[in-house]
Amino acid sequence: MATAAVAQAQITRLDLPAQASLWSDAWRRLKRNRLALVASIYLVLLVAVALVSIVWTPYRMSAIGVTATYAPPTAAHLLGSDELGRDILSRLMVGAQISLIVGVGTQLLVLAVGVPIGLLAGYYKGPADSIVTFIINVFYGIPDVLVAMIMVFLLGPSLTNIIIAIVVTRWMDMARLVRGQTLSLREREFVEAGRAAGARPFKMLFGHILPNALGPIIVQATFGIPAAILFESFLSFLGVGVQPPTPSWGSMANEGVQAIRYAPHMVIAPSIALSLTLMAFNFLGDGLRDALDPRSRR
Amino acid sequence: MFTRGTLIYIAQRIVLIGFTVLAVSSVVFLGIHRLPGDALFSERVRGQAYEILVHHYGLDKPLYVQYENFVVGVVTRGDLGESLVNRGVKITPLVLRELGTSVEVGGFALIFTIGLGMLLGVFAAIRQNTWLDYVLTTTSVIGYSMPNFVIAAFLILVFGIWLENVTGGEFYYQLGGWKGDIGQLWLPAFALGFPYASIVARLTRASMLEVIRQDYIRTARAKGLTELLITVRHALRNALIPVITILGPLVVGLITGSVVIENFFGIPGLGKEFAQSILNRDYYIVIGVFTMYAALVGAANLLVDLAYVVIDPRIRY
Repeated sequence: MATAAVAQAQITRLDLPAQASLWSDAWRRLKRNRLALVASIYLVLLVAVALVSIVWTPYRMSAIGVTATYAPPTAAHLLGSDELGRDILSRLMVGAQISLIVGVGTQLLVLAVGVPIGLLAGYYKGPADSIVTFIINVFYGIPDVLVAMIMVFLLGPSLTNIIIAIVVTRWMDMARLVRGQTLSLREREFVEAGRAAGARPFKMLFGHILPNALGPIIVQATFGIPAAILFESFLSFLGVGVQPPTPSWGSMANEGVQAIRYAPHMVIAPSIALSLTLMAFNFLGDGLRDALDPRSRR
Repeated sequence: MFTRGTLIYIAQRIVLIGFTVLAVSSVVFLGIHRLPGDALFSERVRGQAYEILVHHYGLDKPLYVQYENFVVGVVTRGDLGESLVNRGVKITPLVLRELGTSVEVGGFALIFTIGLGMLLGVFAAIRQNTWLDYVLTTTSVIGYSMPNFVIAAFLILVFGIWLENVTGGEFYYQLGGWKGDIGQLWLPAFALGFPYASIVARLTRASMLEVIRQDYIRTARAKGLTELLITVRHALRNALIPVITILGPLVVGLITGSVVIENFFGIPGLGKEFAQSILNRDYYIVIGVFTMYAALVGAANLLVDLAYVVIDPRIRY
């Protein structure tokens, strides 16, 4: 009897075509999305540039007067030089590091904060959920960049503090998403089955619910990266971001604006770098969303 | 349209906004007093002059007394204190005047955001999967991927510099110099509103696509209504509801964006004052401007909630 069942199961398995998992399916769909693919290639290049700039840049990013000040692009300085005669290409390359660290670092912290809060609020409902929802709504009501400006100012302008300020003002998107996902997932049969089998809450949350909410979380985190980079560029543009001589694309644009009439290359170079990077992350996010959730495809 | 319940709800919300504003400004007040650095101290002010100034601003009193004075001043007289850097300048009238300027720019940007965003979204939806749709959807991603200062820089490059060079100085853009108020406003408002217009366009398109497949649209078409009437009166009104949900975040976004844009164009509004006073360590102005912003955001969110009632009669509070 038992052997017959096993044999039956084996036959059924042999009859099936090779199964595509959710992730390989998503990967196939993502590869078909040309914009997302181009965006990924750009981002890989950007990461490579940022890594290279740790050990090598055409000139030292803070070397003053390696050429004339405000010099337009030449063969020696591909993107020209800024108000102190520093090479803009070298500074852009170092700026890529800053942007990527802020973008990715912020999202890692947001994941660490938002996911557990969202899971707990969604799973236990009741008063815990009410409190979390209230806090989330309060945070949505405050002007984020302004609070971050004050925070960076209070804590002192360093890269870590900027990341902390962005996380404090922008953790809610992830928490709200995870809460919503958990609220709907906890009513599903597999959760009930898990609970009936005696799984502990920790196992339920991180072993069963979280993996099923992973798709939207990844999409949200991908969209969170450009949002954080944009946020940092605002802070730097206003002068409360990363402090000189460390270049950030936002502060470079700010310096460029001062000389927009005489040296437009100074503002154009960081502007294009910033826009392309944000665009690439957004297109990748769009692609990931379409790939991970085919139902939302329009 | 507004029942008694709604009015009670509005009253409750206003009280809540009052408390939020007070709470927010208190947090900033207490936080900022822990800061190192002193706006009063300089080479010219020391010794007894410094003592007098410190006493004038009440900074020699214990923190809780200062806080009490601040709260009493705000609640009873609406008095936010005096500037530490430009001594003798009362903050409340200053901030109120700047609020007017900021609301002018922001309001213009908001009209522009919603108008342009909805127009583009509707066009993309009714021409779904044509080249127009593709161009508009791609443009909208580009639009919200560009920081507003980048848009502003390109606008200045084109309208301020390139056009002037091309026309030999005949046509130029200058703050306060070209066709009065609207002329001053339209570049900052465009730069401020365009990223959000892209988001509105995207949302409008998505919700229009859902709505135009509904049965009641088919009914309207079967009645023989014109395509324009169907789109505007039947489809758009229902498609608006999801769009309104982002109005709250959008207004907050416009407010924070205005800090950057006002600094870029040198517009003497709240945003410029905020960034300036943070860099100057003029703490009382930071608190004052922030209090203003908190009130503004609260009021904007309340208006958005009331807009739901107007657009969708099914919603009641």
